[in-house]
Amino acid sequence: MSVLVVAEHLRGQVRPITLELISAAKELGEETAVAVIAKDPAALADQVDVEGVNEIVSVQVEQDEFENDVYRQAVEQLIAARSPDVVLVGFTVNGMGYAPALAARLGIGFASDVFALRREGGGLVAERSFYGSKVNAEVEFPGHERTLLMIRPTSWPPAEGDGAAVEAELEVSVTGSRARHSDFQEIAASGDVDITTADFLLSVGRGVGEKENLEQFEGLADKMGATLSVSRPLVDQGWMPNSRQVGQSGKTVKPKVYLALGISGAVQHLAGMKTSGTIIAVNTDPEAAIFNVAHYGAVADLFEVAEELEKLY
Amino acid sequence: MKVLVCVKQVAVLGDEVEFTDDERDVDPDYLDFALNEWDSYATEEALRLVEAAGSGEVVVVSVGDEDMEDGMRRCLAMGADRGIRVEAEGRLDPIQVARALAEVVQSESPDLVFAGVQSSDSVQAATGNALAGLLDLPSVAVVTKIDLGDGKATVNRELEGGLVDVVEVDTPAVITIQTGINEPRYATLRAIKQAEEKEIDMRQAGDLGEPGSRVRKMFVPPKGEGAEMLDGGAAEVAQRIKEIVQEKTA
Amino acid sequence: MPRDPKYDILFEPIQIGPKTMKNRFYQIPHCNGFGSEKPLNQAHFRAMKAEGGYAAVCTEYCSIHPESDDTHRVSARLWDDDDIKNLGLMCDMLHEHGALAAAELWYGGPHAPCMETRCVPRAPSQIPSDFEHLTYPKEMDKDDIREVQGFYVEAAKRAREAGFDIVYVYGSHSYLPQQFLTPYYNRRTDEYGGSLENRARFWRETIEQVKEAVGDDCAIAVRMSTDMFMGEAGTQLERDCLPFVELVDEIVDVWDINVSGISEWGEDATPSRFYESGRLLPWQKAVKGVSKKPVLGVGRFTSPDLMVEAINDGALDIIATCRPSISDPFLPKKIDEGRLDDIRECIGCNICISRWEIGGPPLICTQNATAGEEYRRGWHPEKFEKAANADNDVLIVGAGPAGMECARVLGERGMRRVHLVEGQDDMGGIMRWIPQFPGLGEWARVVNYRKIQIDKLKNVEFIPNTKLDAEGVKNYGAEIVIVATGGYWATDGLNGCTHDTIPGADASQAWCATPEQIMAEGKSTGDKVLIVDNDGYFTGVSLAEKLAEEGKQVTLMTHLGHIAPYMHFTLEAPNMHRKLHKLKVEIVTYQIPTEIKEGNVTSAHVYDEEHLTEWGVDSVVLVTQRRSNEALYRELKDSVGIDALVSEGITGFYRIGDCVAPRLVADCVFDGHRLAREIDSDNPEVPLPFKRERHVIEREAVLA
Repeated sequence: MSVLVVAEHLRGQVRPITLELISAAKELGEETAVAVIAKDPAALADQVDVEGVNEIVSVQVEQDEFENDVYRQAVEQLIAARSPDVVLVGFTVNGMGYAPALAARLGIGFASDVFALRREGGGLVAERSFYGSKVNAEVEFPGHERTLLMIRPTSWPPAEGDGAAVEAELEVSVTGSRARHSDFQEIAASGDVDITTADFLLSVGRGVGEKENLEQFEGLADKMGATLSVSRPLVDQGWMPNSRQVGQSGKTVKPKVYLALGISGAVQHLAGMKTSGTIIAVNTDPEAAIFNVAHYGAVADLFEVAEELEKLY
Repeated sequence: MKVLVCVKQVAVLGDEVEFTDDERDVDPDYLDFALNEWDSYATEEALRLVEAAGSGEVVVVSVGDEDMEDGMRRCLAMGADRGIRVEAEGRLDPIQVARALAEVVQSESPDLVFAGVQSSDSVQAATGNALAGLLDLPSVAVVTKIDLGDGKATVNRELEGGLVDVVEVDTPAVITIQTGINEPRYATLRAIKQAEEKEIDMRQAGDLGEPGSRVRKMFVPPKGEGAEMLDGGAAEVAQRIKEIVQEKTA
Repeated sequence: MPRDPKYDILFEPIQIGPKTMKNRFYQIPHCNGFGSEKPLNQAHFRAMKAEGGYAAVCTEYCSIHPESDDTHRVSARLWDDDDIKNLGLMCDMLHEHGALAAAELWYGGPHAPCMETRCVPRAPSQIPSDFEHLTYPKEMDKDDIREVQGFYVEAAKRAREAGFDIVYVYGSHSYLPQQFLTPYYNRRTDEYGGSLENRARFWRETIEQVKEAVGDDCAIAVRMSTDMFMGEAGTQLERDCLPFVELVDEIVDVWDINVSGISEWGEDATPSRFYESGRLLPWQKAVKGVSKKPVLGVGRFTSPDLMVEAINDGALDIIATCRPSISDPFLPKKIDEGRLDDIRECIGCNICISRWEIGGPPLICTQNATAGEEYRRGWHPEKFEKAANADNDVLIVGAGPAGMECARVLGERGMRRVHLVEGQDDMGGIMRWIPQFPGLGEWARVVNYRKIQIDKLKNVEFIPNTKLDAEGVKNYGAEIVIVATGGYWATDGLNGCTHDTIPGADASQAWCATPEQIMAEGKSTGDKVLIVDNDGYFTGVSLAEKLAEEGKQVTLMTHLGHIAPYMHFTLEAPNMHRKLHKLKVEIVTYQIPTEIKEGNVTSAHVYDEEHLTEWGVDSVVLVTQRRSNEALYRELKDSVGIDALVSEGITGFYRIGDCVAPRLVADCVFDGHRLAREIDSDNPEVPLPFKRERHVIEREAVLA
């Protein structure tokens, strides 16, 4: 299968998803081409020249930054020119801005939020989640010779190693960008703690033992750039206000990273965090329920781990 | 000012699950239904724009069977003026839904089309953008702020990592709305009752074509799937945690 | 959802003497205010726990003879054949659910004042009670000992006849057998006093005689306090209890192990303010270490994980619960069915116990409004009848304890739509900030449980951040409107002592505050704080503790003779006193402020008004009295008018909770529950009469 990866970049840097897409492509392809759509694609090409990339296609456009009309037209022409069997795009805000439109216009196979891929027979099988990530599904693409897949970030490791890709250029004609980038703004950190909007939660539970120990974890969260949240027993003890509580009777959270230190994982707690992007759990009890939903786990003493983390930040 | 809002009554799975005999979907007995969270924000945003404009209407559109109307009634209770349901049975993929919606948009010629960023049951984040593609309309995805101008709008697109992309988009356009853009209003009981009387126009779908994909098999994720145990002492564990955090919050 | 296999051990049967418990859940003896004289209430109350999955359910303390009469407090009694009939009903109803019935045979000695029977209690030594003032016992000679042991035997036979499967020889809480065992009570020099063997003799002989009489048919349970926390004078684990266990283990079928004496039995029935679940496990484990018989005991267990841990750790064989079984009689069933998030967890407030301490009234529960209402109102904690007017839509304004409970029960009763509208961003009302007081975190369970339940009810919608005015309510579109807007602390010093405001008191000033201004709004105080507490329950002392912990110099002033007198009933008083003393809080009783100014408070002695004292302080906190927040209700009733409401289709207009009259959280929850249970009665505003168990006379027959 030939695979076309659409590189994603922002402010002059290729985004990590691009290298993940290249790793995903390796599951399928004999031939992987990476398209770099930019005002100065040559400046970015090096960043995607990693092991497994056969060809880097530079597509020069007028825009520095992502604009969806530009990408849609460019990729449409790339597909016409290269006839890939599979097109891989990140399941990112940029990807959401043009990839479904492209798939709909071309009437090709399509699935988004894909986290696993394989070839089966001559066909393609992808895995994705349904119903709030509570069930997974294998999806197939009957009747489609070409498929566009949007890949869930962090599902594949970033591709590495020196590449030896052939460099190519493709001229495209882009007419009219009707949704134009004008500015970037950083979202100001708000004073109020809202654990539901935090990207990184450091969550502690009964394992902290004493109220006095909480300060240590507040300090650690600060250092790590995390927001501190807690499981219910600490709210029950009156050590933390309810606004910090994760769980069925507290807040439902979905941060990118949920680091649970000393939380055993009562059902009510799991209900409030199990759809977090990446869950890391540290607990002394290897049977703790939290490990059932965690992506990474460590059977270790939370104080020892916290102490080591202090040193690293 | 006319805003068309694409809304969906989504299925919500509880803690227990059984599958249908063909294993292609969850047994409906295990599903509850509710208006898609993103769509209530989209409806609210539409209501605010029309209210600010002083006149106009908000039309909610769904594709599906009669059960879809519960979600539409919710939007009508919030203040949407009328509804259009395109009759369709069974599971549709987002591209088929977009095809059904495209006919409605063409017949209604709205100033703006809103959709939620994604539905909580299918999580494709595709319908709104696919609709824009089919109609060749300008579009912006994952929007957290809209300032309406003349023939264009300035919108904020929420990128990963706390960065906002300010975009100028020509209108009419299709915009997918992110949660948090506003605080959706609640419907009073009176509004809920009045919504029962509002018009929902039922239309038959044309040829919706082939789906982009088809579910072959659904299954419960294996327990602890992907749970990689970090070995070594506290120092090694801490080091790995730091690496993972850096990688995943990037 | 099926039961989690890790809880399987809780559902394994266990043999105790000649009887088998079907699982490990045991309702320890506890009072309910029903005794033998309200047998229908008694039987229905206990049977609810059997229905909820308990394998064994006990009576409260059950007097063996008129000499053991605790009036004004209510005990069960097995004095005669009529008592057999009355308590027999409880046994029958328990057996219908496959549960064992247990009778806690009790002789109180001097702690039972015999106010009804006018008997004289007997005791090992003539020492007046440390619990019940002015009660002196008769010192027992050997004939007395034989006679009282005979009372135990006769009562045990009556228990067997009533249908009890387990018979106690109850010592804990400083009752007669434990009095013999304890030097503090036992100053005898004969073979019943002195050495452990002698001090144990009465109890050992009594167990032997009861075992001899009914041991083939009934399991013999012994309830012992293994530490009275009073040094040499009290019973001690190593010195007295473990040797006693070894001495009588052979003739005991099951041990019920706790701690404390009677005067500070809050060390046993631990308030959550001071102790977490499982506080007694070390003592229970010690007994289990020397006994070959099953050991059971309490620990305010609500978490199945902790229960399993207690068994696996070798501390207990049987999980006994008292307060958690009141809060949720269906605790075992919910664990069995994997419905952990439906468990209505005890908050450890001890409001149940306060009713026994007060003497007379039936128990109440903050979490479970149906506790004690099983028979007399016919309420089932888990079953709800569809309301006759279920086609109505309901608006509840205010999501505090009353509003939440009302919404939950109306949801369960199948009302078409219930909208619970709240001005704040979350549910809880007053219970959002009360659990922020030191030690009261578990009280948040009142909110947590209801939040989870309301979330599950499809017909109930919670609407936060929405303040409705009278017009908003009128036009909301509900057929039934319930106002539950709560109460507030008086900002002007209005109080129940002078029935007037305190001159100068004004919580709009920076130096003057009310409890909710401090707790909910974050108002700060100066370094030197005077708290005026005319309330007498937890608010004043909790604020004193909180502010003192923050380093403030706190004076707590009350017009009463004690601070927080209600805490004596909830068993929180002793440790609260210890805590405040340690924090150097100055306690001033019998004083009421006559004037409050910035920087200075003048107070008068309540029994000597001319005796004035000046207090130089930075801040004053007014815990004087609460008032109903009835503005919305009054506007709707008086300004908008009932006619206008009716013309908008509002056919029912009620109010509940603190907005009617400020009261205990338990009573607010009850009020919300009561209205919802009776929302389809002829006049829901007025509670339906409940069934009264009383002796009704036939006049003609009496006169004839």
